[in-house]
Amino acid sequence: MSVLEGRLGLRVVRAADGRTVVAEQFFQAPFHLSKPHWDPDAGVLHVQVVNPTAGILAGDALRSDVEVGPGGAVLVSTPSATRVFRMEDGASATSRQRWTVAADAWLEVMPEPLVPHRGSRFHQETEVSVAAGGGLLLVDQLMPGRLAHGEAWQWQRLVLGLSVRVAGTLVLRERFDQTGESLRTLSELHGTGAGACFGNLLLVLPEAESAPVWRDQIRALHRAGLWVGVTALPGPAWSIRLVADGPLRMRDGLTAIREVLRKAYPRLGCPLRRP
Amino acid sequence: MSSDQATNTDVQWLLGLLQASDSLYPTGAYAHSFGLEGMVDAGVVKDRETLRRFLLTTVLPTLRNVELPLAAQGWVAFGPPDWDKVGELCMLAAALRAPRETRQASMAIGRQRAELLAQIQGAPLAQEFVRRAAAAGWPHAAALSTALEARVHGAPLPAVLAATCYAAVAGVVAAAMKVLRLGQNAAQTLLAEALALCPAMVDGAALVPVDEIGWFNPWLDIASARHETASARLFIS
Repeated sequence: MSVLEGRLGLRVVRAADGRTVVAEQFFQAPFHLSKPHWDPDAGVLHVQVVNPTAGILAGDALRSDVEVGPGGAVLVSTPSATRVFRMEDGASATSRQRWTVAADAWLEVMPEPLVPHRGSRFHQETEVSVAAGGGLLLVDQLMPGRLAHGEAWQWQRLVLGLSVRVAGTLVLRERFDQTGESLRTLSELHGTGAGACFGNLLLVLPEAESAPVWRDQIRALHRAGLWVGVTALPGPAWSIRLVADGPLRMRDGLTAIREVLRKAYPRLGCPLRRP
Repeated sequence: MSSDQATNTDVQWLLGLLQASDSLYPTGAYAHSFGLEGMVDAGVVKDRETLRRFLLTTVLPTLRNVELPLAAQGWVAFGPPDWDKVGELCMLAAALRAPRETRQASMAIGRQRAELLAQIQGAPLAQEFVRRAAAAGWPHAAALSTALEARVHGAPLPAVLAATCYAAVAGVVAAAMKVLRLGQNAAQTLLAEALALCPAMVDGAALVPVDEIGWFNPWLDIASARHETASARLFIS
């Protein structure tokens, strides 16, 4: 089995004509960057990160570093779910992600879900740094496994760390390091069933808003089978969490939230699928 | 167990700990349900059995993975004081709580306990901490105040962590008696069952590295976030 030390680097800046352009990029397998697409309506450069391999395998060590320079605006998405495959003999895979946003810049990160397979071991650490006046929407989705195969909560170890700094101040630290069994037990207690999917959204705004209109609109999406909560973090940052009883309801919930936010923040109007 | 009379008279730290843990001590903790009321509103906790599951699957893991390791790290940072480390832990403690209501509850209780320690005990370490926290804008946190109390009273770390476990579990059970049909004996039975699991958590707390502190329960976070704007509520959190 070949082990991949994947690297992805991307730096975008605002050009003289107001468009956002790629100033620097490099990547090596399993990362691949598609040709960027400028969306003039949203004023956002759309970049897709493609993994042409089947997914993450034992021994893979991935590092990605994305930086948005002053005035730049970019949407980073993935076209398909990230699968983490079964790993033998105690092997594991790692990923380190760093997202950096300058003042007056905007970054949206909207990947497809992470799907840890039975017997997988994966540790991902994500560092986010947003300068004062910068904006960000970072979305993470986690599925409990290959639900279509009747497989859920079967990973060996899954560690997902997230550290968020705004204007240099730590505003959020999360660490997921739980067995599938403990999450399955929690899901049962909370009535979200065997196929619970998780959505974690971090929104950093250029300026603090104490009671934005969209807060109540997103709160109103909460219903049977879809838990939704919105809360203010320190500074101009918000945390939005979702738990859905299945992937379809999760997708619907995320789409609805993005639509609500788009009305307040037009840069979220860039379509995730290109025309 | 020996029935011989105890001869150790060095119990000043125990008295300090008892005072700080007593309901007479004005920390304001009685006004919080620590997420329970949100779970009751969500229909998750509705009787003795679901309360038991909430204690075992939510309250204890939060203690094991967040509160106790933070307090243990704080205990090291306070003695002798490494103020840079104390400040980092204060920031981390706040950042580990995404829901504003939960974060503010910990900050309010932590601030009150630190200031009481500075005022009532006149403890120089507490006074210095309060002064530095105000100057640097460090958020207060209940776990850090626990560590501070331990240092001021000279209490052994395991004893302080055990008291933290008791306060956390008893606080939730006391709140449950106000929002659920739960009798005193049932409450004490649940308390005893949960407390029986605490010694192992106390033993492991100091072994958790700073970068491994944290726990994931999105349902609790969502319930707390929704409780912030609930139209009617009994508790602040």
